[in-house]
Amino acid sequence: MIEATGLTKRYGKTTAVDRVSFTVQPGKVTGFLGPNGAGKSTTMRMIVGLDRPTAGTVTVNGKHYAQHRAPLHEVGTLLDAKAVHTGRTAQNHLLAMAATHGVGKARVEEVIEMTGLQTVARKRVGGFSLGMGQRLGIAAALLGDPQTLILDEPVNGLDPEGVLWVRNLVRYLASQGRTVFLSSHLMSEMAMTADHIIVVGRGRVIADAPVSDIVARAAGTTVRVRTPQAAHLEELVRGAGVTVTSSESGLLEITGSTAPAIGEAAARAGVVLHELTPVHGSLEDAYMQLTADDVEYHSTPVGGAAPTAPLGATAPQTEGALR
Amino acid sequence: MTTTTAPLAPTRSGPDRRAALTFPRIVTSEWIKFRSVRSTAWTLPITALTMAGLSALQAWAMTQFEGGETMGLVSAAPIITGGWFLAQLVVAVLAILTITGEYTTGMIRSTLAAVPTRLPALWAKALVLSVVVALVSVVAVALSYLAALPFLGTLGLGLDLGDPDVLRVVLGAPLYLTTIALFAFAVGTLMRHSAGAIAVVLGFLLVIENVLGGIPWRPLEVIAPFLPSRAGARLLTEQATLDMMDQGSTVATLTAWQGYGVLAAWTVLLLAAAAFLLRRRDA
Repeated sequence: MIEATGLTKRYGKTTAVDRVSFTVQPGKVTGFLGPNGAGKSTTMRMIVGLDRPTAGTVTVNGKHYAQHRAPLHEVGTLLDAKAVHTGRTAQNHLLAMAATHGVGKARVEEVIEMTGLQTVARKRVGGFSLGMGQRLGIAAALLGDPQTLILDEPVNGLDPEGVLWVRNLVRYLASQGRTVFLSSHLMSEMAMTADHIIVVGRGRVIADAPVSDIVARAAGTTVRVRTPQAAHLEELVRGAGVTVTSSESGLLEITGSTAPAIGEAAARAGVVLHELTPVHGSLEDAYMQLTADDVEYHSTPVGGAAPTAPLGATAPQTEGALR
Repeated sequence: MTTTTAPLAPTRSGPDRRAALTFPRIVTSEWIKFRSVRSTAWTLPITALTMAGLSALQAWAMTQFEGGETMGLVSAAPIITGGWFLAQLVVAVLAILTITGEYTTGMIRSTLAAVPTRLPALWAKALVLSVVVALVSVVAVALSYLAALPFLGTLGLGLDLGDPDVLRVVLGAPLYLTTIALFAFAVGTLMRHSAGAIAVVLGFLLVIENVLGGIPWRPLEVIAPFLPSRAGARLLTEQATLDMMDQGSTVATLTAWQGYGVLAAWTVLLLAAAAFLLRRRDA
């Protein structure tokens, strides 16, 4: 279990992590999601004491990481695939790490086998691809057979087979009751791997909930309706908690109501419907909505148009156009 | 590369109480690290061979002078330790790389994640480095003696280890080189960049100390005897030579051991600063 309270990290005037509090529970895969520069890596480094928090505290299994008698048995970390001396072989790197805790050679061989590094274990790390570097980092994290795993962008640079392997591995580790905390900026990956998601943007926690809640909360349930009598239908369904938007004439997106309710209302008023479809928000949409205001590096759309409007920001314009 | 998709074999059969972080284990880890990087593996034999070669060369050169000129030497000790000047450069670079190599590659994050209290890792590294440098320099001095031996008879110089002055110079070489290694290691830890630290240490040993000593400006003249290498090197100089050098000196003249003490003080100071910053800095 990882518990962060008011965790803050400032570099001069920049606040990388801003009063972040969360708990990562054992037995689950917890995703740590956010755009680049949101403070994910800094937070993870603070958990294992590599960075000193400006304020706040973070504990692992009830203690500060540095206070554990056998840190590698408590927490396995992959913070950076390149945190290895390039002049040393993978095997020697693992042997040196293992030696600090008196972990034997047999376990080193075991993690080499688990991560599929047998053929390159005696090669120097300098020649490794990013994918092999990730596997070595994961091997090092598993050395102490730890109860808690912290993996920063573990699928970065892995081929599809490797991605699948990491997904199975972390799910398996969580099923054994271990705490698994992994970061990513890829929503789709998180959707398939995590049970619980903590979303951060600009150093703040934006959301902290089960995956299903995140989708439901941010996107809600939208019903897409196609009708030649759009204006009429909008008047019919409009009410408390119901918002109607339109991106093209004759097409309404209604949030806050349900398909049966809309269908019945239309039937009573004799409004013709060409389509009535409940639309479930994807995790991707939810993520974009949550982090829209918190993305540090906005990209300019190709073609030199106005900056990308966050999802949902189109509503007021089209609502006006409709009337 | 193949992937094991089979489930992991869990090895945990209840937490192992004996498996904990201990200083001897950290030393073992640092020793594995030290010997598993190629640069260190070949730097040290080269140091020893260079020292031996230089001794033979110096001894041979002296036999070539008219009448076997011994340049005021009393024993063979300065000849067989004469390679210290070059050896210290190699040793300093090696010492710097043992720590800056971790910073430039990112290895330091793995090291400090495994040893989150940090200082034990620093001391273990320093210990491994000192022991290795000390052993290699003892071997180097012995090899140097063997290499110079064929010429010593001609020069009429002996090596009586029962003479405290001779013993001081002979053992002074490993002691001096080990201390220089720690000095350079401390600078490396403070600077965290290989090129920068090497420039500073070699600049100090090769350039600054010699240039400063030669400038006829009073404040510099007063400081000069307390510069680390100049002070420390007195340990490697026979008393007769020291007396000759100090004749007419208008500034502080240190004894051989006082000189070494000055170098040791510099080293301790820098190591303390390095330890302090290692604790505080983000890795």
